[in-house]
Amino acid sequence: MNFSPDKEQAAIQNAVREFLAKEAKDLARGAEGTEEGYSRELWRKIADLGWMGVSFPEEYGGSGGEFLDLILILEEMGKVLVPGPFIPSVICSGHAILKYGSEVQRKEFLPKLTNGSLVVIPALIDPVPDTIQVSIKEQMEVKDGDYILSGVRLFVPYAHMAEWFIYRTRSEKGNMFFLVNAKSPGVSYSVFDTIASDKQCEVVFEKVRVPKANVLGGEGDGETILRGINEWGALAHCGFILGLLEQVLKMSVEYAKQRVQFEKPIGSFQVIQHQCADMATDIDEVKFLTYQAAWVLSKGLSAKKEISMAKARASDACRRVSLLGVKIHGGLGIIIDQDMQLYFRRAKAAELAFGDGDFHREIVAQQLGL
Amino acid sequence: MDFRFSREEENFRQEVRDFFIKEEKVTTEARKEWDSGQGFGPYCWEILRKIGSKGWLCPTWPKKYGGLELPYIYRYIIQEQMHYFTNIYATVSAGMAGPIILRHGNEKQKNEYLPRIAAGEIEFALGYSEPQAGSDLASLEIKAEDIGEYFLINGQKMFNTRTHYAQYHWLGARTEPTGPKHKGISLFIVDLKTPGISITPDWTLGNMRTNQVFYDDVKVPKEALVGEKNRGFYYILEALDYERVSTTAGLERDFKDIMDYIKQSGKGKDPLIRQKVAELAIDIESARLLSLRVAWILNMGKVPNYEASMLKMVVSETEQKLVNTAMQILGPYGQIMEGTKWAPLNGKFEWRYRDSLETLVTRGTSEIMRNIIAQRGLGLPRG
Repeated sequence: MNFSPDKEQAAIQNAVREFLAKEAKDLARGAEGTEEGYSRELWRKIADLGWMGVSFPEEYGGSGGEFLDLILILEEMGKVLVPGPFIPSVICSGHAILKYGSEVQRKEFLPKLTNGSLVVIPALIDPVPDTIQVSIKEQMEVKDGDYILSGVRLFVPYAHMAEWFIYRTRSEKGNMFFLVNAKSPGVSYSVFDTIASDKQCEVVFEKVRVPKANVLGGEGDGETILRGINEWGALAHCGFILGLLEQVLKMSVEYAKQRVQFEKPIGSFQVIQHQCADMATDIDEVKFLTYQAAWVLSKGLSAKKEISMAKARASDACRRVSLLGVKIHGGLGIIIDQDMQLYFRRAKAAELAFGDGDFHREIVAQQLGL
Repeated sequence: MDFRFSREEENFRQEVRDFFIKEEKVTTEARKEWDSGQGFGPYCWEILRKIGSKGWLCPTWPKKYGGLELPYIYRYIIQEQMHYFTNIYATVSAGMAGPIILRHGNEKQKNEYLPRIAAGEIEFALGYSEPQAGSDLASLEIKAEDIGEYFLINGQKMFNTRTHYAQYHWLGARTEPTGPKHKGISLFIVDLKTPGISITPDWTLGNMRTNQVFYDDVKVPKEALVGEKNRGFYYILEALDYERVSTTAGLERDFKDIMDYIKQSGKGKDPLIRQKVAELAIDIESARLLSLRVAWILNMGKVPNYEASMLKMVVSETEQKLVNTAMQILGPYGQIMEGTKWAPLNGKFEWRYRDSLETLVTRGTSEIMRNIIAQRGLGLPRG
């Protein structure tokens, strides 16, 4: 039984933390309002440092580490809110291709994913029917050996920066996944303004022609691929959320120690102390649920229940902790020039990504046998 | 990082489980005695002696005092199974008084008490709270006057649970009436049969017996003093950190009862129930991991700091979530007491709903726990 990272993991975490402290200060704030939404320069640097290859085999340019190593890196990235498509591209697309891609696809994509030269984004989510009129009818045809795909996908992060998509669609045999070049005729997108400025997009496919060789996975693999992407995405966000919330607590405690009212630091008042204690408790719970889930996954075991437990708790903790952070900061908690509101808004996006608390609680209920 | 027990530890856990299963009769009766709220009866003593005879009550202690010199994780494993099967999750002697005697007692005291504690032959009762001293323990007033050849003790204790069946009182008393309050307290081991001690019961709404204890010119020998005079408050604080360590086996066992009920009653498709039960499962798993974290810290030979307080708070508040979820699922039937066929699960959760309040306010209230997390854990300044 060991609740702390081993020596190597601790060394990686420290190196990541030091690097980000120097290079990523105010990056999240700076990226808001830019067209790209993240720093390509930082992206290149972290690729050069090997972070993107941590959980990939050496033959594809990785360093052969475990998913747990990745979670520890994501925790540090969460502390400074590193923006960009690391989770959807490197983690979700990368592991989908690693696990389900053909050898040709693996050789073609993985080295470029691990060295940061390629961005591949999953396009998974159908619009909820009957709310907004969708102009494009959902369709999949086969013609001359190629697939012709039409449909609308929402909440595709950084679609505007993607070179490739992993496009999910339905056939009579269930879900199917396609690797689609973003420059294919018929592909268009629009970028939403979102609460977290995280460049989530609508992607429209209008009779996009995709060769058979670009199908990801074998026949019948669709459900497992979808489950995999959703689990890796959810767990990766748990790691990011952990760092985000730890930083909120750190900022709040520092503020409470130095802010004086009624001739005392407000951190000496019981209400503030109890709020901080609740934040610390929420965070410790998220931490160990997340580490445990990542550890189970790293052992090659099914972690479905553990991941959903972690994401459900992490999602709700996002709301609770970020709100307390704002309250402790008082008026400064809502001012744009201050960092607290940035964490508050980012926390909402992280709460919702790959399933919120209600969504994951339903999975837990199923896993309990109900 | 590793979230699993080692193979040896898993084998040991199976060995402990097998022991309790083999001793099913004694274990079941001991649990009934304990759940009745009346304290240790003959079966409780019997199971404690059986556990003690294997060295399992104090497995981390030196062999010369009845221990097995095993790492702390083995104590956790035993406690977890004992909690699950008998619902007794700790004894004061093995869990609180014993460790302090081991660290701060003199050789005579260690030889006098530790082997008997480890053998399951004696129990201690905490003598901390008084009518005017609960969370503010330093305000305790019971007086221990140094007469020269003995201490003369006068005063009153309240919420001193276990004094009606324990052999010894683990008594905090004031030996210095002037100066800072927390620097004038000493710790004593008092034989509860000493003339001048009288005990009056108080009953909780969960049917648990606690006691008021009156000291009327009680003569206590000098050897009863533990450690240094006037340092008692610090020993008490140290003991409290140990007291706040618990396992989640009780929660897991009660959760299983709720799940069985839901499945049998066909309520498992209700989306509200699915959400509540899943959230409860997450609460319990979080608490279990926090409990393992404390065990890991103790296993490394360190004393848990805010972590034990966080654990105590989370376990007691998770218990509230559990009994509230159970009552919500049972609807109006939840309020029916045991004794009629209409009481679901024999009225178990009607009782637990009342009884679970105790753990919110004993061993340190949730509010004090939050103070400790904030001050000791996060470094926030005292008010």
